Amino acid sequence: MRRLLMPGGMILLILAAALAAPVLPLPAPLAMDIMHRLAPPSVAHWLGTDEFGRDELSRLIWGARASLAVAGGSTAIAAAIGTSLGVIGGYLRGLPAFLAIRAMDVVLCFPPLLLAVLIVTLVGPGIVTLIVALSILFLPGFTRLAYAGVLQTRNLDYVEAQRVLGAGRARIMLRTILPNIAGPILVQASLTAAAAVVLEAGLSFLGLGVVPPTPSWGLMVRSAREVMGQAPLLLLWPCLALSLTILALNLLCDRLRDALDPQTAPRRRRRTMAAARPLAGAAATDGDATLLAVDGLTVEIATPRGPIRPVRDVSFSLGAGETLAIVGESGSGKSVTGLALLGLLPGAARVSHGAAVYAGTTDLLRCQEASLRALRGSHLAMVFQDPMSALNPVHRVGDQIAEAILAHARLDAKAVRARVVALLRRVGIPAPVARARAFPHEMSGGMRQRAMIAMAIAAGPRLLIADEPTTALDVTIEAQVLDLLAALQRSEGLGMIFITHSLPVVARIADRVAVMYAGEVLEQGPVAEIFARPLHPYTRALLDSMVPEGDGAEAGLPAGIAGNVPSLLDLPPGCSFAPRCALRRPACETLRLPLNEVAPGRFSRCPYGREIAAMAAPIPAARA
Amino acid sequence: MEPTRHTLIAAEGVTMRFGRAGFFGRGKLVHAVSDVSLSLARGETLGLVGESGSGKSTLGRLMLGLLAPSAGRVRFDGAALGAQLPPALRRRMQLVFQDPQASLDPRRRIGAQLADGLAIHRLAPKAEYAARIAALLEQVGLDPAHASRFPHEFSGGQRQRIAIARALSTAPDFIVADEPVSALDVSVQAQILALLATLRARLGVAMLFISHDLRVVRQLCDRVAVLYLGRVMEEGPARAVFAAPRHPYTRALLAASPRLGQSIGQPAPPPLAGEPPDPAAPPSGCVFRTRCPLAVDACAAAVPPLRDCGDGRRVACIRAGEGDDAAALP
Repeated sequence: MRRLLMPGGMILLILAAALAAPVLPLPAPLAMDIMHRLAPPSVAHWLGTDEFGRDELSRLIWGARASLAVAGGSTAIAAAIGTSLGVIGGYLRGLPAFLAIRAMDVVLCFPPLLLAVLIVTLVGPGIVTLIVALSILFLPGFTRLAYAGVLQTRNLDYVEAQRVLGAGRARIMLRTILPNIAGPILVQASLTAAAAVVLEAGLSFLGLGVVPPTPSWGLMVRSAREVMGQAPLLLLWPCLALSLTILALNLLCDRLRDALDPQTAPRRRRRTMAAARPLAGAAATDGDATLLAVDGLTVEIATPRGPIRPVRDVSFSLGAGETLAIVGESGSGKSVTGLALLGLLPGAARVSHGAAVYAGTTDLLRCQEASLRALRGSHLAMVFQDPMSALNPVHRVGDQIAEAILAHARLDAKAVRARVVALLRRVGIPAPVARARAFPHEMSGGMRQRAMIAMAIAAGPRLLIADEPTTALDVTIEAQVLDLLAALQRSEGLGMIFITHSLPVVARIADRVAVMYAGEVLEQGPVAEIFARPLHPYTRALLDSMVPEGDGAEAGLPAGIAGNVPSLLDLPPGCSFAPRCALRRPACETLRLPLNEVAPGRFSRCPYGREIAAMAAPIPAARA
Repeated sequence: MEPTRHTLIAAEGVTMRFGRAGFFGRGKLVHAVSDVSLSLARGETLGLVGESGSGKSTLGRLMLGLLAPSAGRVRFDGAALGAQLPPALRRRMQLVFQDPQASLDPRRRIGAQLADGLAIHRLAPKAEYAARIAALLEQVGLDPAHASRFPHEFSGGQRQRIAIARALSTAPDFIVADEPVSALDVSVQAQILALLATLRARLGVAMLFISHDLRVVRQLCDRVAVLYLGRVMEEGPARAVFAAPRHPYTRALLAASPRLGQSIGQPAPPPLAGEPPDPAAPPSGCVFRTRCPLAVDACAAAVPPLRDCGDGRRVACIRAGEGDDAAALP
């Protein structure tokens, strides 16, 4: 908002001067004084006089009235009528849309200046004519913009919610749609006003706008041109006024766009850390079975309200042929962890601390982008949640898989084609030869996810990171894809990090699980043990939130976890789960404990694990 | 099913076709919903289960009168719904959307959005709006002081509470909840489900609960209808249907739905093979036969009718009840 002050203030100043012209102590703008024509600037005439001896400053300020009246008037009329036409046409569709849009198309067919000249010649020059002519000229812009905005908005849930409430069309258009498309229209209005100032000057210069002797900036440029040799300064003043006004309007328009759009693009940052510090205790010489050892991974994002750390001190290790699930609710940092390992963090985020040693030799977090690129695909691969957005819609699926193969291997076209078909068959896609030629939109969600998996394993990676790969799928298809992933993992000996929010999916696919909450791993260990005997209150609460599977008297709806996930800007000083924890002690609110090995293979940040384990067994254990 | 005295809303042979014939017969005609008959009594909760593309949401909108069926009709409180719903009926039927982020207007304060229903149907004088909004917010477990906030200032679960409060603002008799918890986190899902259960009990409102989560439907709903490719496969009391499903699709759905207890240490059952067929070119006869482990030649001959089993359950399968139900398990 503060950034609007400068251009807004300039516009207000120009407006105020124009409005106050009659009361300002200025010489009359039409009073001629032939004796002092073309006088240079003096105390009496600050900007000098024109070819009839009229005061230049006075004419400049009075001229602003004409320019601004034309700009404001035509913009307001065009915005009001154009937006109404666009909204009505866009919301009602059918005949109203046809009439509104075709009428605008007709207007657009005329070259703008020709149209203005036509109207002025028909009606005769003058301020009112100019306003009418320019309004018609600017109408299509607003109509088209509003129409497009309504088409985007009209089928959104919140508009349908209004229909369900029983709101009439007028109410929906006025109360719901208009405020939501107002942003772009405001910006268009300030652009239009700037254009109108220029057009007014141009038309007046041509003698088609404001009629002399009424002062206007265009007319002033016109008369100054004739005496340019004798008084060149006379040309400068109106041009300066024009330029300043337009600059202020354009600046206002830019700033308005920023103010109306809260999302500001973050600047791109280098992904490497400031200095190559020595490995922070990560056992680089771990047993050869360890595929990936992550130690103290911390990710920092700079936000306007200060840095936040969506992932803090995350450590885990993964063996070859093992599946580790990272489970957590939205905002727990599970996806960011996966992206950080592959060096795919968005621009504003960077790894501030930690190490991730792959195959005992390479620290993924300190790799140069080039060597990381070589690792991706051939050693590390990722499967994303939504295969529709992860596959390129304009390329055939087979070509995209071929690209993944060719990125790491030199093969002739025939061999690549054979490999693509083999991969598609491998992931269970029927008729693989035909499917290789299909576009993503021609496949179902399940088939697309299979194709994504084929692409991920194309270059024979050893570590697969799957980020919610089945969340967008139906249950019967989800079961198929989970089975496929498990089979691939077994046969290829892949190490898999499976990121999910679903506990049943964890139970189905993973060997070990890390439970994340608000950026930290709260508990880690073998899946069966954790689900049967959680040692952290959050894991316990999460398991208790599950709607029970059994039926009978004991079944019912669980209560869930009271409260909300803490904001990353305002994390509790102690245990991050303490504010929602049923077992909270005073010490929990101040003491932040590391992930400790509380039992063989079991890690937890909570020191009261024994008491949690002593509580009545949670649901799944009761069934096991 | 014969409408009884207590029936609040009933779909009678409802069919919904989308698309058009097109030139030279090249157009696609999609049967989103085919010949569905369902009814809800006052205060009853019917779960509508099915995968994506099964027509659940379309059926929900048909029953709300937001879409006019291509064939068949929907009766609400005895009156058949026409193309344009009179405001008095509109007030009595509301919808809760899946994603509260999308269903709340981002540019208006929630108090103003909760007042919309009151203003449209003139349910209270303007002076009472503030008190009514406070009561609505309290009812869904939110602080009444938050009425002046914008939707983005709330968490996902809180936003869904607001959306529920909006649906309740017109004091409806019938609510369609279209996957109201599937966009929410597990711990928050449970909160919202508990809220829905409480409100239903307290207000006696009938609810069509659309979901793909069988566990939730079992716990929340009195009855359940299983939809596949726009047709009802099986319908009956929720507990009974899930305890002993009679249609092979219901069985497959139950077997596929992920569970905690079963999977540890035990191999998961083999998932249902194949994918749902193209709704623009459904198979002849039973729509499920292409994936059905029990399919025989007769399944392709005619669409199996939704037979009344006599115990409050209906099933659309010619092989259901052949011998022991359990023996036929795939």
